[in-house]
Amino acid sequence: MSTLVLTPERLAPEPLHAPRRSLAGYLAMPAILALVCLGLYLYVTAQQLDSIESRALTATALGTAVWQHLQLTAVSTVITLAIAVPLGVLLTRPFARRLRPYLLTLLTLAQAVPTIAVLVLLAVAFLFLGFQAAVVGLVLYAIIPVLLNTMVGLEQVDESVLEAGRGMGMSAFGVLRHLELPLSVPIILAGVRTALVINVGTATLTTYINAGGLGDVIVAGLSTNRVLVQVVGAVLTAVLALLIDYLAGLAEDFLRPTGL
Amino acid sequence: MDFVEFLINRGDDMLELGLEHAAVVGASVLLATIIGVGLGVASYRQPRSREAILAVTGAFLTIPSFALFILLIGPLGLGFLPVVVALTLYGLLPIVRNTITGLREVDPAIVEAALGMGMSRGQVLRQIELPLAWPVIITGVRVTTLVLLGIAAIGSIVLGPGYGDLIFTGLARVGTPVAVNLVLAGTLGVVVLAVLFDVLFYVIRKLTTSEGIR
Repeated sequence: MSTLVLTPERLAPEPLHAPRRSLAGYLAMPAILALVCLGLYLYVTAQQLDSIESRALTATALGTAVWQHLQLTAVSTVITLAIAVPLGVLLTRPFARRLRPYLLTLLTLAQAVPTIAVLVLLAVAFLFLGFQAAVVGLVLYAIIPVLLNTMVGLEQVDESVLEAGRGMGMSAFGVLRHLELPLSVPIILAGVRTALVINVGTATLTTYINAGGLGDVIVAGLSTNRVLVQVVGAVLTAVLALLIDYLAGLAEDFLRPTGL
Repeated sequence: MDFVEFLINRGDDMLELGLEHAAVVGASVLLATIIGVGLGVASYRQPRSREAILAVTGAFLTIPSFALFILLIGPLGLGFLPVVVALTLYGLLPIVRNTITGLREVDPAIVEAALGMGMSRGQVLRQIELPLAWPVIITGVRVTTLVLLGIAAIGSIVLGPGYGDLIFTGLARVGTPVAVNLVLAGTLGVVVLAVLFDVLFYVIRKLTTSEGIR
């Protein structure tokens, strides 16, 4: 019999020290997600499952898919940030200023390249499949929005603050370290959230290059023509993505420097 | 087979898929713009509904496209319709957000002056606020279009139209010489459309921005 053990009630937010939204605002999303999971669980257990369905919907199968999905998301997000944030800092230094308009146009246009195309190209052109290929594909795709975010964010730092820093005799590195980066923490946190949301979404597609994840459940449902399996996979994917976005939003609210 | 040769051989396919892809994205962008600007205009003055609308449209964008396409098969079936609905939902956030930002950035002194001259709220909105906010709104529409062009390729999973077809056919033939060409052709098609749409928005923006703020 199928069991869904993935309800997020336990991940309800901890007591709030410095609420920036109302308590109800913080609790709405976990409550909705818990209700969706509960509804899905009750619906599935009320169905008469055939052998294909009950095999696809065991707790072990779903647990493995979620775990793979989380691994893909976590690894690719860390690598994305490790590349995109320093690159964003580099590309906003004065020497790169003339390139900026071209670079922004190019990066904006590159966002149109379909994720699925990046993943499939790795598979068909280099016969590169599996977890590592998926991470490469996810990182390639997520770098662009995070890089754009970082560049635009760093440039929004008030020029007069930087001028004051230089006037006080700070070096270029000192200005970056003590003024620009702390003032950009909210932007970097927004970048983390963006990367997480993009990667958790794209990780659904890595099933097509044999890297697992919740896409496996959906594709299993598609290939065996079992709507119930497809719906379970899709709902779990959506719940996981919304949950991760919610948690990243909490982090954004609470890690922001208090002076801002 | 050489890639260029492949493109020439499949020229009619490329054109047809391109038109389909542009049509499905164009229809979705149009719908998302009408709904998004409407929601933005309706909510930009009330903090509560503004937050609620941004939260809901943000949640749409968070749901992975693969999952949303699958969930829409139930109510909407396969083909053009689920893709348009999914893309419209995805497109809302940037448009709503930019509409609200643009309208809120209008200098209150200008609005005050217009009201003082005896203009009604509706007139102020149509003749003052929306024209001033327009460059920001159209930037949101442009960003939406680029993102939707990429997502539309995934619509091929629910038998949606466009270049996704080439990419998934290529995937199905992994290991054969034609596979790489198919995927590259699909990707190139989307990128070419992105450039064309971008040029189109540049022209639209030039033509529709009110003279005083160009």
